[in-house]
Amino acid sequence: MWLVAAIAAFRPDAPESQERDRDALRRLAAGDGAGAAELYDRHHRLLYSLALRILSDEGEAEDVVQDVFLQVWRQASRYDPARGAVGAWLRVMARTRALDRLRARRSRPEGRALDDEHAAANVVSQDRDASAVLASAEQAARVRDALEGLPMLQRLAIELAYYEGLSQSQIAAHLEEPLGTVKTRIRTAMSTLRDALRETGA
Amino acid sequence: MIEPVVTHDVAGYLLGALDPVEREAFEAHLPGCAECRADLDSMHPVADALAQAVPQRSPSADLRRRVLAAAPAATGAPRSAEPAGRVPTWLPLAASIALTVAVGGYAVRLQSRVTDLEVRLADAVQRASAADSLMADARRTAFEAQSAMAVLAAPDVARIDLRGQVAAPNARARALWSRDRGMVFTVSNLPALPGGRVYQVWVVTAVGAPLSAGLLMPDASGGGSVYFATPADIPPPVALAVTIEPAGGVPAPTGAQYLVGTPTPL
Repeated sequence: MWLVAAIAAFRPDAPESQERDRDALRRLAAGDGAGAAELYDRHHRLLYSLALRILSDEGEAEDVVQDVFLQVWRQASRYDPARGAVGAWLRVMARTRALDRLRARRSRPEGRALDDEHAAANVVSQDRDASAVLASAEQAARVRDALEGLPMLQRLAIELAYYEGLSQSQIAAHLEEPLGTVKTRIRTAMSTLRDALRETGA
Repeated sequence: MIEPVVTHDVAGYLLGALDPVEREAFEAHLPGCAECRADLDSMHPVADALAQAVPQRSPSADLRRRVLAAAPAATGAPRSAEPAGRVPTWLPLAASIALTVAVGGYAVRLQSRVTDLEVRLADAVQRASAADSLMADARRTAFEAQSAMAVLAAPDVARIDLRGQVAAPNARARALWSRDRGMVFTVSNLPALPGGRVYQVWVVTAVGAPLSAGLLMPDASGGGSVYFATPADIPPPVALAVTIEPAGGVPAPTGAQYLVGTPTPL
């Protein structure tokens, strides 16, 4: 099945890099600045990309990355390895902070207009070279593939929840569908993605 | 059909998509439910995968200096996180991503203004989806979903249904149009094209000659969905038309009209 094949290369955080992260955090807690540089160099790009996806504002995305690392510098000594991989912890913080900013922006009266230049070129779908879209960091691209392989309305619900921070009831209101339908759709999509990830580990 | 009542909403919890009351109920339920705890464990990597499934970009080099300046101790010399001279591979994706951002924001703000449109879009999206399944190109479907989402959420979205003309009485098409965000054009039952010919989509405005939106190459069943970017400065359309033209398209319509439609009042 192509979905499974697409997600097969995904490895959340390899065990050895998780160990390096924990070691860097320990050294950071002991006052070794090289540990901080190591953590930044290994994770900043993912965090920035996630924040940028949510906020679509480079300055705000950088602020999010900065906030996350400042919190790490403060809390390095209190990190509990039982909480899971350091990388996943950082990504949760980045998403939470980015969504907080997004919600604050929404509560302001004027939304921001989209950048027209991004929509400049006519795109005739039949002619588009899909392979060009897939070239970024390989594993992320493969996860994205799996997401894109979901039925359209499942994917729409997942994206509105994860990247736009809408609750299921907000999504239901937005799409004028019963809440139960939205929940079923999200649960089905998450199960599909989970199963694809499980195949990866097999 | 009665919707199933979801009482073990692990997926919603994991995505942070439960309302506060639901979340409290779930958190109270979780310690006593081994099944939900197992589900939560197994789905946790999915949330993290979503965090990584975004186009990768690099922040300014200055960010590193600012962040590390605040670290507990002085740091070593900067190390490059990625090889220099790397091609920014996110670029081709930027357009599609840019079109999806802020959909949720608009969703909330525009709820009262676009409720009717969303139902219509769901219909159009399903039609697009059905046509696309024949073409077996999931990525194109995804791209169109993103574009359709952006058009859907546009404050100025309008629907234009097109009817088949004498040359193609069974053809149908629907366009969702936003001046800022472009147009999603879904067509069905167009006759097969003779060699060297192509369908071309025209935007008719109250002023000036019709403008070409782009070319249309339907699949074997005469169906397909196309996303057209449209210049933001063109006047609102008073009609859309599809004509048959020489391959490559022409600057002004010359061939027979196959589909014509005017905006549906909202």
